[in-house]
Amino acid sequence: MRQSSVGYQVERFGLVLVWLAVIALFGAMRPETFLTWSNFSSIFGSEAVLVIVTLGLIIPLTAGDFDLSIAQTLTFVSMLTAILSARLGVPLVYIIPIALAAGALVGVVNGTIVLFFRVHSLIVTLGVGTFLHGITLWMSDSQTISGVSRMLMQYVIIHRIFGIPISFYYAVALAAIVWYVLSYTAYGQQLLFTGRGREVGRLTGVAVGRVRMIAFAASGMMGAVAGMLYTGTTGSANPNSGTTLLLPAFAAAFLGATCIKPGRFNAWGSVIAVYFLVTGINGLSVLGFRTYVHDLFYGGALVLAVMISQLVSGRREKTL
Amino acid sequence: MNERHPPRLAIRGLSKSFGGVHALSGADLAVMPGEIHGLLGKNGSGKSTLIKILSGFHKPDGGTLEIDGKPVPLPIPPGRSERIGLSFVHQNLGLLPEATVLENLIAGDHERVASWFINWPAEAARARRLFAEHHLDLDPWAAVEELTPVKRAQLAIIRAADRVGSHNEQATPGLLVLDEPTPFLPIEDVRELFAMMRRLKQSGVSIIFVSHDIDEVMEITDRATVLRDGQVIGSFETSRTDRSEIVAAIVGRSMSQARLVGDPPSGDPPAASVAGLRGRFVDDLDLRVAPGEILGLTGLIGSGYDEVPYLLSGAAAAMAGTLAINDGNYPLRHFKPAEAVAAGIVFIPADRQKAGLALDLTLTENAMLPATVQGGGRLRIDHRGNRTITAELMRRFVVKAQSPQQAASELSGGNQQKLLLAKWLRLDPKLILLDEPTQGIDVGARREIYDRLLEACARGAAILCATSEFEQLEMIAHRVLVFERGRVKAELRGAAVTKSSIEAACYGESRIHASV
Repeated sequence: MRQSSVGYQVERFGLVLVWLAVIALFGAMRPETFLTWSNFSSIFGSEAVLVIVTLGLIIPLTAGDFDLSIAQTLTFVSMLTAILSARLGVPLVYIIPIALAAGALVGVVNGTIVLFFRVHSLIVTLGVGTFLHGITLWMSDSQTISGVSRMLMQYVIIHRIFGIPISFYYAVALAAIVWYVLSYTAYGQQLLFTGRGREVGRLTGVAVGRVRMIAFAASGMMGAVAGMLYTGTTGSANPNSGTTLLLPAFAAAFLGATCIKPGRFNAWGSVIAVYFLVTGINGLSVLGFRTYVHDLFYGGALVLAVMISQLVSGRREKTL
Repeated sequence: MNERHPPRLAIRGLSKSFGGVHALSGADLAVMPGEIHGLLGKNGSGKSTLIKILSGFHKPDGGTLEIDGKPVPLPIPPGRSERIGLSFVHQNLGLLPEATVLENLIAGDHERVASWFINWPAEAARARRLFAEHHLDLDPWAAVEELTPVKRAQLAIIRAADRVGSHNEQATPGLLVLDEPTPFLPIEDVRELFAMMRRLKQSGVSIIFVSHDIDEVMEITDRATVLRDGQVIGSFETSRTDRSEIVAAIVGRSMSQARLVGDPPSGDPPAASVAGLRGRFVDDLDLRVAPGEILGLTGLIGSGYDEVPYLLSGAAAAMAGTLAINDGNYPLRHFKPAEAVAAGIVFIPADRQKAGLALDLTLTENAMLPATVQGGGRLRIDHRGNRTITAELMRRFVVKAQSPQQAASELSGGNQQKLLLAKWLRLDPKLILLDEPTQGIDVGARREIYDRLLEACARGAAILCATSEFEQLEMIAHRVLVFERGRVKAELRGAAVTKSSIEAACYGESRIHASV
């Protein structure tokens, strides 16, 4: 019923419309710098990392768990990749499985503590993330490590398709996978029931604990992929790289839950939300605003997104 | 009731419609000082609309309100109710479990308690006086979460009475609206609550008592008003009215109270048998249930009958016991819900809002969850096919909803329960476990639920129904086991299954010994 109504369609694509409006606005103000293909292709390429972190976040969020450690997983894996590649000369074919395993391990540690000790995920992942950051600083002696194999950069940023770095396509491919898993697989439905009706799921035979464990492991692996791409994008690893990504990713996850499939964390909504946010920031910096707009914009967007979703659910309650 | 006084509350011609649907049309209601007045009606009859107008939540389209003979302008501004002499206790009681009794008692009482200084000892002394005056055994410093359910209800009611008594500008004892305070209470606690209501009545307080339970209304009220389809069908003096007359007014057609089932079918071989079951309450239980049989489990609170469905479905861990079903023999100690479903056992829990349905999710998602769990290996969920199946289920189970894509929260309780039945009965289970299957559901929807259960029986399913509603067992159970202290105290079969015989078995010294 509601699926076909005009209002619902506007709600679904509202964020896309706002995004286009933002592009039009900045384009009109600074056509020669903002509205160029090179500007957009660099936005698309460099923010692939943020897209992947956001996609990683929405998996445990759908199951009702927070993963605050994902940004530090990114930093840790990014540093691990740089050290393996630049210091130890390990070839890429070995680095990828090691990195993914490291990410999964972080997820399993999170999941184990949350599930077996029944501690809230917010606290556990905050602690694990900070702990990981400590390891990263120790491992790197708080230095940026560069000299990463050129092959990694080839596969992340140097190769371009239609002028956009290949990392963008990785992000889109992962979004397609997350979208498919969340919407069309039994695991996706089990994840949803684990988040929205945990007891209902348990009594229907959903292995709730396993579902949550897999979600944590998946978000750890997404953090690992993002970490490798980060190192590949910059050719180096900075021990503080992930710290500034956590809040934007949360903002995008919650903002993304207001569109495409309003009321649910969803992959395409997250992708759109990330690019909406970075377009806004890019536009503001083209206009000459300084770095403080990052915090203003991301922080504001997170609060606004949560407000909008509350308004939407409040309105639904009233139509009862 | 003092006839010289004007009514404590008089409503005339109250109307309210939502989007063209008349939720309430021209309702009249009068409640005298010191009267307990029942408000009866099915879900959607206009009861809640009436209450919500009184509490100031809805603005009526028309009608007048007088309190103690003085007209009160409508709508009532939020926060004014207590000053005009009305106070409300809703089913959830509105207490903060982590806080103390005293904190809950004075919470939000800004008119009496100064906002810049709370004199805790003085407040505690006042609370003790208040509790003593009403014969309540409540400790001001106890945490509400440690109170028994009936004490919580008492606290909520005394708080409402206290507020209205101290803030009412008319200086009368006021009127309390108790909106279904009893459905989650065992019968002895209901009695305790009734005693409290009678004492309040003696001190001149008027009470509107909203309930689904006709027997409770018959017992406690002086008069009762029945609403149906937004209209007042009539007001009855309960002591002079026959129960069936009230039931007829509620449902609009007279309901047969007759048994819907006959003698127990022969149980050889049984559909399922349980041996040596032990749980937290259940103590060494053996039972057999035949294909096509509805076996009722009942008893007083704490007797353990309500634990059985949880243990047999893997929802709660058993300490010992085995279940034989379908040629399989399952040790129940580590039985998991997934194994139960795979063995053809389904369980419909009492708490449908938390354990039965995920209210945020759609009807389709809820109805298809068992299939989703079982078909875990399938690579693609056919959403369109699932919607078609759900739409068909909604027709078969008479679930009234706009679309299979609606959120489950948008349905009424009765329709939610029917959806829940559809979700599970679709699997064609061998054994159906029910815990209070009609809790908080109106008479009409109940009957539809019974019909679906009887259909499942006709297809050869066995049903275990744990319930505290004896009348329900009289209607649908072939056989009833009455529990006491975790053991079967009495067994009733066929025509011997009546409300009064179950009551007698529960309360009385039983001569019938367990023979299962």
